[in-house]
Amino acid sequence: MTEQIDKALAREYEAGFVSDVESETFLPGLDEDVIRRISGMKNEPEWMLEWRLSAFREWLEMEEPEWAHVDYPKIDFQAISYYSAPKSMKDKPQSLDEVDPELLRTYEKLGIPLIEQQMLAGIAVDAVFDSVSVVTTFRDKLEEAGVIFCPISEAIKKHPDLVKKYIGSVVPKKDNYYAALNCAVFTDGSFVYIPKGTRCPMELSTYFRINEQNTGQFERTLIIADEGSHVSYLEGCTAPQRDENQLHAAVVELVALDDAEIKYSTVQNWYPGDEDGKGGIFNFVTKRGICHTNAKISWTQVETGSSVTWKYPSCILKGDNSVGEFYSVALTRGRQQADTGTKMIHLGKNTRSTIISKGISAGKSNNSYRGLVRMNPGAKGARNFTQCDSLLIGDLCGAHTFPYIESRNPSAIIEHEATTSKVSDEQMFLCRQRGLDPEKAVSMIVNGFCKEVFKELPMEFAVEAGKLLEISLEGSVG
Amino acid sequence: MSEWLESAITRAQNLNDWLAPKRAHAIELLTQTKWPTRKTEAWRYTPLRPVERTKAGVVSGDANLSPESITGLEAIELVFVNGRFDATQSAKELPTGLLVSLGQDVDSAQQTVALNAFSTIKPERHLFGLVNDALAEDVILVSVAEGVEITQPIRISSLLSQGAESHTRVQVTLAKGARLTVIEDIQAQGDTLSTAFVEYDIAADAHLDHYRFALQTGTNVSIGGSHFNLHDKSKMHSSIVGFGSDLSRLDTDIIHAGEFADAKLNAIYLLDGKELFDLHATVEHAMPNGTTEENVRCIVADRARAVFNGRIHIHRDAQKTLASLNNRNLLMSDKAEINTKPELEIYADDVRCAHGATVAEIDKQALYYLQTRGVSRSKAQVMLNFGFINELIDLMPNAALAEWVRPIIRERFAQMEVK
Repeated sequence: MTEQIDKALAREYEAGFVSDVESETFLPGLDEDVIRRISGMKNEPEWMLEWRLSAFREWLEMEEPEWAHVDYPKIDFQAISYYSAPKSMKDKPQSLDEVDPELLRTYEKLGIPLIEQQMLAGIAVDAVFDSVSVVTTFRDKLEEAGVIFCPISEAIKKHPDLVKKYIGSVVPKKDNYYAALNCAVFTDGSFVYIPKGTRCPMELSTYFRINEQNTGQFERTLIIADEGSHVSYLEGCTAPQRDENQLHAAVVELVALDDAEIKYSTVQNWYPGDEDGKGGIFNFVTKRGICHTNAKISWTQVETGSSVTWKYPSCILKGDNSVGEFYSVALTRGRQQADTGTKMIHLGKNTRSTIISKGISAGKSNNSYRGLVRMNPGAKGARNFTQCDSLLIGDLCGAHTFPYIESRNPSAIIEHEATTSKVSDEQMFLCRQRGLDPEKAVSMIVNGFCKEVFKELPMEFAVEAGKLLEISLEGSVG
Repeated sequence: MSEWLESAITRAQNLNDWLAPKRAHAIELLTQTKWPTRKTEAWRYTPLRPVERTKAGVVSGDANLSPESITGLEAIELVFVNGRFDATQSAKELPTGLLVSLGQDVDSAQQTVALNAFSTIKPERHLFGLVNDALAEDVILVSVAEGVEITQPIRISSLLSQGAESHTRVQVTLAKGARLTVIEDIQAQGDTLSTAFVEYDIAADAHLDHYRFALQTGTNVSIGGSHFNLHDKSKMHSSIVGFGSDLSRLDTDIIHAGEFADAKLNAIYLLDGKELFDLHATVEHAMPNGTTEENVRCIVADRARAVFNGRIHIHRDAQKTLASLNNRNLLMSDKAEINTKPELEIYADDVRCAHGATVAEIDKQALYYLQTRGVSRSKAQVMLNFGFINELIDLMPNAALAEWVRPIIRERFAQMEVK
């Protein structure tokens, strides 16, 4: 048994490698000049630069949040390089053939089916390699439907009115420390616009990938679903092995106008650090969506990576009858720390929200659910149901629940439930009696524990998530 | 730091008695403490403006106050009036095995023991606990000898006259196998400020039944704490009934310092007008095999605000712990507000913990049903509210107390009509 465990524990991070693409990278450091250079590199209009600079000035006044149940060394923001672009971008590849083959090989190693498999899967990929979007496929098909799916840097130039109207409208510039930083230095990300009454013909997907050493990754995603439209967006990521901690502070803003629906799914598998938690990614993300009348936003996340996660995908249920959903599986092992959850802010009448959170802690990790359900005075007849379950594997880990419940409307109904338990001896006995080895048994039990969340994921993602969980749990059983 | 705290510290610095070492320590911590704001987690929903603006001060001389009697209850009375121990109104004859003394009257050896025990149970993070450490003058020490069961309950009453400030402190020690019932009670007139803290040390196999009534309403600031330390196989059962005031804050801390200890906490609070009541219940499971069961129910009417923070912390060694927390809230008006946060912090794997919280209004269908049977709307409301609370009153181990508090609650419901 111990041998098995040792073997499994010694497992290397599968996506751990650094690919050799020549990159143009800024020297570490952050001041207004760096922001001007980022903006300049992107040929941004003046208003964008001003917006960045004002966010930067706000950020300088702000303090780093300390309330989360996580512990990490203080980040030196002057030691981070704020821009890194694959060099081959200078010539702007017109087709896949022109793309640096090294890049393509990187994706292949990661198992991202960029070319043929993409077509078979029917997914358009806006792949982000470090900070610049390299390849966008299926654009024609999307254009036909009137869907805009492009790097945000391109949208700033081509669709300034849309960007100007909605950027920072859901997550204000000074919303929090990391969001403000992102506003100042974001390099790229995705922009999606679904026109009125349109059902996006395919699932949109972005694979993030952190590559350059010491490069902070500041993605910015803006998705606008116009009235009566529908879109499903997938985000997944994995990163190569390295020694120094990397900061990732992304901002995702979703706007669901009347009767629109956005489904946002994430599988996150960034480098969690070595056995001592050294070298993993710091993932401080702000994700928020606003729902107008009858709109729906559904967040589904499977979090297995990063050394420190600080992430609360939220919904502002502004319009009457709008719906917010949050389905989450967060698995921590080794020395990982996750403080994640959601905020459901009920403003409109008859708004409904559902929160299902499954936390699995193993090794010496700490996993916290932190959530807020707020019923404002106008939230007549609103409804919330929250369920947070934690599973502990091993006696050196921690599972925590911090739900904030605030109600100011008597007709709103809130229900919150939380449980914590371990994989029971009875369950293990039953499985082993039927010939399953302990690892398979745990994996099966955990899969059952997470079923409610997995069923919300698009099919391809659900398979990937299940596999990811299985791999992540290897070596956790004892 | 607030002016109020500054003046409290200055006052404390002028006091000189056997409590000096404790006081000095508290003053030192207080001078380092930041005055809580909305960003201070422990005071997030409870603004301290009523403390900053309090008109209460030290009132000396005869106040002519005496505790209300409770029918059917023959208690051993311990009475504080405006923060000072009132020997004339307090019990003079005590059953064998029970010792009650005033801190300044015992010999120095006993004082040293008491000083060392202070604040080992009450956490030092408690701002007003420190204020109490700094300002309490008369301290009552209660102890029950090994194996003795005191059948008569002890009632600690703190009485405050108009505009008075009071800081009371009691230390209760139950020796091995002892059994005791303690009632903590406050009766205050308007514009008062009080901090009332009791620390309980419950030795192996001992059993404490505890009650805390905070039924004063109006322009009062009432801050206090009941803190329990449980040793091997000890048991405690606490019942709390609170009405709100300008600011009412109660902290209960239960520490499982021994194995196989059992704690039960049932709290009810009923708020009306512009009242605020804030209950922070913390349970620390430091040792294995402990059990905790908490039931907290709250009804909020008019413009009142209720705050609840229920934290269960299971330490690494506390394997085989069973802990549960159930928090149910009823909102009766559009302007009322409930903020609740049941927290779990768990570091041991072989445990079973659960919490649940609900916020809703009275079941409209039940209300309708009663009305179709000829019960008036307001009567029906009282009935339903009462049903919601009554279960917890039934769980009170002392029948006389349950019967005493029931009509008081019923009367409260009659006031708390839906607005």
